[in-house]
Amino acid sequence: MTTSEFEGVDALEETYAAASRTDSKPLAMKAQDVSVWFGKRKVLEGVNIDFPEQSCTALIGPSGCGKSTFIRTLNRLHELLPGAALAGEVYYDGKDIYSPDIDPVYIRLQIGMVFQKPNPFPSMTIRGNVLSGLKLSGMKRDNHDEIVEQTLTAAGLWTEVKDRLDHAAGELSGGQQQRLVIARALAVQPHVLLMDEPCSALDPASTLKIEETIRELSKDVTIIIVTHNMQQAVRVSDYTAFFLAAENEPGRVIEQGPTTEIFSNPKDQRTLDYVNGRFG
Amino acid sequence: MSTQTLDQSRLTELSEQQLQRPWRKKPRKFTLSVILAVIIPAAIVAALFVYSDIPGVIVLVVIYFPLQAIAAGISAWLTRGTRSIGDSFIIVTALGATVFSLVVLVSVLGSLILRGFRALSAHFLYQNSVYINPSTPLEYGGIGHAMLGTFLIVGIASLIAVPVGIATAVYITEVRGRAVPYVRFFVQAMSGVPSVVAGLFILTIAVSTGLFNQSAFAGGIAYAILMLPTVARTAEEVLKLIPDELRMGALALGSTRARTVLKVVIPAARTGIITAILLGVARVIGETAPLLLPLVTTMELF
Repeated sequence: MTTSEFEGVDALEETYAAASRTDSKPLAMKAQDVSVWFGKRKVLEGVNIDFPEQSCTALIGPSGCGKSTFIRTLNRLHELLPGAALAGEVYYDGKDIYSPDIDPVYIRLQIGMVFQKPNPFPSMTIRGNVLSGLKLSGMKRDNHDEIVEQTLTAAGLWTEVKDRLDHAAGELSGGQQQRLVIARALAVQPHVLLMDEPCSALDPASTLKIEETIRELSKDVTIIIVTHNMQQAVRVSDYTAFFLAAENEPGRVIEQGPTTEIFSNPKDQRTLDYVNGRFG
Repeated sequence: MSTQTLDQSRLTELSEQQLQRPWRKKPRKFTLSVILAVIIPAAIVAALFVYSDIPGVIVLVVIYFPLQAIAAGISAWLTRGTRSIGDSFIIVTALGATVFSLVVLVSVLGSLILRGFRALSAHFLYQNSVYINPSTPLEYGGIGHAMLGTFLIVGIASLIAVPVGIATAVYITEVRGRAVPYVRFFVQAMSGVPSVVAGLFILTIAVSTGLFNQSAFAGGIAYAILMLPTVARTAEEVLKLIPDELRMGALALGSTRARTVLKVVIPAARTGIITAILLGVARVIGETAPLLLPLVTTMELF
């Protein structure tokens, strides 16, 4: 083991201790001094957020403040974009996921993601989509029928599609596709599930169903959700972090804490203005 | 306007509605004038054919087409006013051009079929023309040698060019390595290579050095050189159309880059990649120049 890893573990233990003082839940992930660049432009600066296990953390803030960029750094998808650069550490399972001996494929398997636009694989059936994660990651699990039923039930889609599992995934409506994508992400049993504005392209009824799904899931899985919709953050999340970028400056985390705190009794004037809808 | 509600009697009324296409209804005056505009010029031209000595082509081009255009213009003006005269000219021109090209095609095909029909039977497909000369009866000989040669050489070329072409496209769109601009430049430059140069190239580097004999295989490589840029460029365009969300989605499920490409991106682009292969085959299947030099008179496969 190298010294840097020891430091990482120490840092994490400190935060575990710090977290246990305020809250009983241990941390699933922790971002420490994360700064992000695209080319020469710094888009995020010094982000420190703790993500307690088996809870839902919402990242809120106006457009262009780096929420989506930040969530992509949490499962190493950020590095695939051209010109991407990053400083700081992201801890998962006691290790910095950006340390050289960590396999990004393993990280992405443990930390799943649901995107803004539903992206079912068009060449596969509904059933094939749910099981695609197993195929793509080379994960061996038998009882496939059980997995399909279980994950689709968890995503709130089972009753709607159980008679047409062999139909093309493209036949489903946008809201159903998004729930299918959630089921697909659950089939590989991720420890953390990232959601990048999962409801922004959906109608209110589908949004409601997905929010129910999120509430249900966050009992077992750690969920980190980016949302523009503040009511949604209140409805689904336990913790909230508020991002803000001043003009021509990188985005920063202004305030974070339990969702009820942030929305009812924020400490920063800007947070108060934002959650009351005075800007953004 | 007062508020209306949908009561039961209105519902039954609505349920009795029949399927209609109101936009297809034409006024009677319109139908009549179209019929007159078609019949009158045709009758005049038919009369000219029968009772005058003017050659048929001149009647058709100098008299019939202008006459038809004028008749259509008048009938359009009578039914829909001045604005529709332009429309009627365009319709007459387009219809005339279509009929003209159809007549040419049908007459060529017709005379071919009428005169060559006796030669058409199963033997035409598999017999060759080794002992055939112009005085041989139509019942002998066929295109078997040409079909076999085409299948062999295009098959060999596809076996080489399709995997290499798709791999090139994957390098450009999926791997996105440092050499992408250069690779793209050379693929682009390759698509401008004249086909005879490909044949000459294989002749000099492979046949005349004794690497291969003059053979179908040498011809197949020459074809592959021509196919490669078409397959690679088309496949690249198709892969570019696959949304990044799909790639990200697969990666977020813990997939490796290779599995993402093989199991998600290429299957999603399947129809486009088949198009790329077909375009590549179409590019070479009619070529003769690349075979002139490496193949000349051989009947050998390798």
